[in-house]
Amino acid sequence: MNVSVDAAGIEGGRRRKRKRAMAKGRQVDPTAHNAVREVLGDLPRRRDLLLECLHRLNDRFGCLRVEHLAALAEELRLSMTEVYEVASFYHHFDIIRDPQAEAPALTIRVCDSITCAMCGAEDLARALEGRWGANVRIQRVSCVGRCEAAPVAVVGNKPIRHATAGTVAAAVATHEVAPEAIEPVTYSDYCRGGGYRLWADCVNGKRDRESVLKTMEDSSLRGLGGAGFPTGRKWRLVGKEPGLRVVAINIDEGEPGTFKDRHYLEHDPHRFLEGALIAAWAIDSREIYLYLRDEYAACRVMLERELAALQADPPAALPNIHLRRGAGAYIAGEESAMIESIEGRRAMPRLRPPYVAQNGVFGLATLEQNMETMHWVREILERGPAWFASQGRHGRKGLRSFSLSGRVRKPGVHLAPAGITVRELIDEYGGGMQDGHELYGYFPGGASGGILPAAKADIPLDFDTLQPYGCFIGSAAIIVFSQHDRARELARNAMRFFAHESCGQCTPCRVGTVKAAGLMAARHWDRELLDDLSQVMVDASICGLGQAAPNAMNCVLRYFPDEVA
Amino acid sequence: MAAQAQDVAPAGTVRFTLDGQDIEACGDETIWQAARRHGVLIPHLCYKPDQEGLRADGNCRVCMCEIEGERLLQPSCWRKPVDGMRVRTRSGRARHAQKMVLELLQADMPDEAYVADSRLEHWVRALEVGTPRFSQRVQPAADLSHPAIAVNLAACIQCTLCVRACREVQGNDVIGFALRGGEAHIDFDMDDPMGASTCVGCGECVAACPTGALSNAGVPPERQHAWQGQESEATP
Repeated sequence: MNVSVDAAGIEGGRRRKRKRAMAKGRQVDPTAHNAVREVLGDLPRRRDLLLECLHRLNDRFGCLRVEHLAALAEELRLSMTEVYEVASFYHHFDIIRDPQAEAPALTIRVCDSITCAMCGAEDLARALEGRWGANVRIQRVSCVGRCEAAPVAVVGNKPIRHATAGTVAAAVATHEVAPEAIEPVTYSDYCRGGGYRLWADCVNGKRDRESVLKTMEDSSLRGLGGAGFPTGRKWRLVGKEPGLRVVAINIDEGEPGTFKDRHYLEHDPHRFLEGALIAAWAIDSREIYLYLRDEYAACRVMLERELAALQADPPAALPNIHLRRGAGAYIAGEESAMIESIEGRRAMPRLRPPYVAQNGVFGLATLEQNMETMHWVREILERGPAWFASQGRHGRKGLRSFSLSGRVRKPGVHLAPAGITVRELIDEYGGGMQDGHELYGYFPGGASGGILPAAKADIPLDFDTLQPYGCFIGSAAIIVFSQHDRARELARNAMRFFAHESCGQCTPCRVGTVKAAGLMAARHWDRELLDDLSQVMVDASICGLGQAAPNAMNCVLRYFPDEVA
Repeated sequence: MAAQAQDVAPAGTVRFTLDGQDIEACGDETIWQAARRHGVLIPHLCYKPDQEGLRADGNCRVCMCEIEGERLLQPSCWRKPVDGMRVRTRSGRARHAQKMVLELLQADMPDEAYVADSRLEHWVRALEVGTPRFSQRVQPAADLSHPAIAVNLAACIQCTLCVRACREVQGNDVIGFALRGGEAHIDFDMDDPMGASTCVGCGECVAACPTGALSNAGVPPERQHAWQGQESEATP
């Protein structure tokens, strides 16, 4: 009876709203709109490409101007706030509000995460600040994934290894700002070495799915991003999901101390691509997303080139491969946050259930895998499951790519048996401790995996072996420190990192990391309060960032109490 | 056996244990909803079930419960029970999380109140959370640029109810959640003053706000009640 009246009322309300909305608020400037259209070119105006749109603007103008953001919203038919909340989330987007303000001509990013901090990042940043005036901006940033060459500064897109104020100034003076050149195994090299034959055999029916799945299961390969979920089992589970399926490869390596994915990507990019193609075949998927962190600019250039070569002359019918560019956000490495980012949103982790396997990219069943995990697929299938499973030490199985950094003679990626102890790793692979340095402690799994003292240097390093000690191996980033370092300062560095990288969604993490970092500045730590805080972060945070953030802090209280008493 | 027919729950009904009491959840109910139907009100801030169209988001983490066999606590506003699940909302661990979340949020609250009954203060009192042991954040400035709505983000707990009210209930999409981490905050359009934004002043956000961070401009705090005073009788 009242339906028509209600409908008219709603319609009237809508019309009123639209009319007022037209008059109110920020208006789109036609000049800015034209500029945005020109920069976007023929890029499809799709919401999931919002990050790519923002990158194009940021690359062109050296910043994101709010008038351009308003025009971009109009262009994408999004509200202004939806564009702004995404743009303001990612560290690599620089929003400028004042229309008169100039964007800095050059940004120098000084990594201030754990290994770089141990190796003098703070002194480096101070020495650089004020050297060039406002035109050159010095930013302290989270781990850039080059800890073997600490301290690292990135001038524009050019990483400076073992940076000093002098080498950075030289790069600025000669304007060396382009990404470094990478010379990997190219597409033709890889094919000459027998590459992609295995995948082609799969596609052409010379290998059957069941035997591939069985081999992967028997190999004992586990997810090398840090969570350690058995890879073969994951393929089988996602393969059983109804509807369309997607493969998403996580190359958002950002855990302080970790650089193994970059190592393999720089040397042999087609190996992980073939693994991803085999995974896609195994679960019957026609879409592969590659999500690459923006800090790896040289890898992006190289990967674009190598993908083009593969797509120009593929050995078999390729699925669609989408290369997506991150924008400076550690949290985007969390599996569901990465999916949000692929969809063009703030990289905020999703609540489970539903799980990514059932409801991932665009709501489709998704097989998400760390890049290095895919790197091993070909070799395992060629050599058989026993080859991988037969590796290992101290009763553990498989191989691990350790990112070793800190006070050792030979930092770098070392492929070693799973289960090796840190003492063995340092002596057999790391060339021993640096002169004048004795082992005092180590991070067994980057910033989030806790800290162990030298007294615990003989524990097998692997998934599941460190839990009794309040630690985990995660992505196998081993940061070694000595009597010249203070565990409390390194733990504080880790907590500041988490506060900086928290997405801000849930209370225990958003508020907890900030409060904890503040409390850890005190000379004497308030154990009772930190214990209470730690418990709520571990128990009640949405994702692994908040749940693991207190690990290093707790380890200082447990293993290095004298430092904070 | 005759009794068996009564033991079998109707289709779509789930039987689970809540703090030792056997209860039934129907259809798509969450733990929180089933609990309330049985007279148990679990603390909640970012979830306002009584305002139409506002979905749960599970971000404040004050409704955490302990589920037997699960490693982590779970938000009761999000999780749905399954047959035989044993849920505890008053166990030491669940209570610790609930109280710590309240303490963390309360630590950042300003001395000044913008509404008479902040839902946060209500739960702080109900769960007997003492004076917060954490120092206060640097407070954002008030935004009094809008004629009808006062913005005092000093009282904001980033629950994003206002974002959902503006975006999903009203379809206006003026309010967003900008930046991240400790800097994450509610904003209008592009971090614009509310009065200069495309806000049409519908008031859905004010109705949704649990703490008075968004309130009616020009109305004294003692005459404004968060969530219109609903659930003021609530006991945990």
